[in-house]
Amino acid sequence: MTLGVEERWDLIDKISKATITFGKYRHTLKDAIGELTVKPMTGIPVAIAILYGFWSVFGSFAGFFTDGFFVRLFDAYWLPWLQEIFPGQGGWLYAIMVDAGGIESGEFVLSSNCLESFGVLTSGLFVAIGIVLPAIVIFYLMLALLEDIGYMPRLAVLIDTMLHKIGLHGYAIVPTILSLGCNVPGVTATRILETKKQRFIMMTLLAIFIPCGAQIGIMQDVVPDLMGWILLYLIIGYFIFGYILNKIVPGKAPEFLIDVPPYRRPMLSNIGKKVWGRIAGFFKVAIPFVLLGCAIVGGLYQLGVIQWLGNVLAPVFVGWFGVPAETAGPLIAAFLRKDLAVAQLSVIDMTPYQMVTAVVLVSIYFPCVATFAMMLKEGWKELLGALATLVVVVFVYGGLIHLIGILLGVA
Amino acid sequence: MKVLLMGHPNVGKSVFFNRLTGANVTESNYPGTTVDYTKGWMKIKGEDSELVDVPGTFSLDPKDKAEEVAVTMLRESEDAKVISVIDASKIERGLYLALEIIEEGYPVVIALNMWDVAGDKNIQIDIDNLQRILSVPVVPTTAISGEGIKELVSRLKDAKPVEIDTIIENAGGLT
Repeated sequence: MTLGVEERWDLIDKISKATITFGKYRHTLKDAIGELTVKPMTGIPVAIAILYGFWSVFGSFAGFFTDGFFVRLFDAYWLPWLQEIFPGQGGWLYAIMVDAGGIESGEFVLSSNCLESFGVLTSGLFVAIGIVLPAIVIFYLMLALLEDIGYMPRLAVLIDTMLHKIGLHGYAIVPTILSLGCNVPGVTATRILETKKQRFIMMTLLAIFIPCGAQIGIMQDVVPDLMGWILLYLIIGYFIFGYILNKIVPGKAPEFLIDVPPYRRPMLSNIGKKVWGRIAGFFKVAIPFVLLGCAIVGGLYQLGVIQWLGNVLAPVFVGWFGVPAETAGPLIAAFLRKDLAVAQLSVIDMTPYQMVTAVVLVSIYFPCVATFAMMLKEGWKELLGALATLVVVVFVYGGLIHLIGILLGVA
Repeated sequence: MKVLLMGHPNVGKSVFFNRLTGANVTESNYPGTTVDYTKGWMKIKGEDSELVDVPGTFSLDPKDKAEEVAVTMLRESEDAKVISVIDASKIERGLYLALEIIEEGYPVVIALNMWDVAGDKNIQIDIDNLQRILSVPVVPTTAISGEGIKELVSRLKDAKPVEIDTIIENAGGLT
């Protein structure tokens, strides 16, 4: 026999009266801090401070290890050593695995650093280990701290009103922040949203506007001065297109109720396990894709496919997005490897505004293969919808950024 | 034997799971960390038992996809025992889900988790009386530090299906 809802609560009432006594509750310091971080007047400044702190620790930690250690290791020792010992200099295998080099005054010259060589064993490994690894380690370490202390639900409460404008609610901050590490768990985390509409909007926005840790790491490394603008354009895009999607996608966007858990002291062992597990998971997915993507891009360059596509599409890139014709190649290669494409872009001569446009374009492009597969798992209709949105967004938003540049007189 | 860990979001199901199976599912201090189930194995008296970390749900009437996963998991595991994890400092609402599961005829053990938090909040729970009324084993636990977990597992063998009428009678009838 089962009870009705009323009867069940009635029974619970009886049981609790017979078994529970509530003593006097003392308001503790923990509660006070808890309230201060969730009330808008004090909570919003605290949230800004925490996010800013997050960002600056991220930047300095990643920069310290990448520039201070890995760049030297890879450029001064690994690259010259491989260039020396790998057989068949100038051949296609050499170009794909080690160094595609360049032609200077009619002569083949080797690259001087791992961002320009575009070999699987040079650029591929350097990006994966030298740039992405430090970025991911520090990101997940800080994320784990915020998670275990119990800050995430408070952030969700604070940002709730804003996210309602785009058909989501405060809790959407969880998949969004998870996606800053890797979009794959971000897509899975959309399950905590109640309706199909919300999940679709969230997934689409994640895949388009949220760069993952690997991308952020490489942007931070090659175009650190422009990061502010790039992120600003991505955040604005997230809200503009979220707003539009909310208007056109049918379905409901309900209110949310959330339990704000008490702050807890994070346990070192749990942080360690979690960070380690996530890094291991990321690398199981990312390393093969980085290396394979690198090999495919290298192969397509060798076959002249990317140059050909670049020439065909250059007028679109130049006319519509306002970026130089040379960016066509990397922008096409970005379909396979966004991180390498950013590195390629960084060595092309263009104005800062063109660089911002090009990097934003790369970010909002096609999601990485792993994310694509995860979205397919959540539903093929949603995936198709997300892809259609993506194509529209790339053209509309890319054009809009160009237009803003023209109006500001910087494009 | 198959054992499901069920309860509200953020009551510590994943912490139990990791402690009992030695696995490594993600634990965090916010509701909705687990959105898919994870299976693992533990030994109970030398017998291999399957343990499932089920996403948190407030009731058996799912509100989102993660809750759907939880309810489907329960319905597909007809012969399973359930460890119903309840936040001891919010015991009433936890009992709602526990009663629903008991009403469906599953043998249940109740873990009153975050026992330390309940203590901090000056909440006293008469375990013996609760156990008598519900007629299922009730074990106070603090999963994060491991307290009570051994007893919880040892009490699984005492879990039997209970008629809801018995509970109503023990509680002194409905109003």
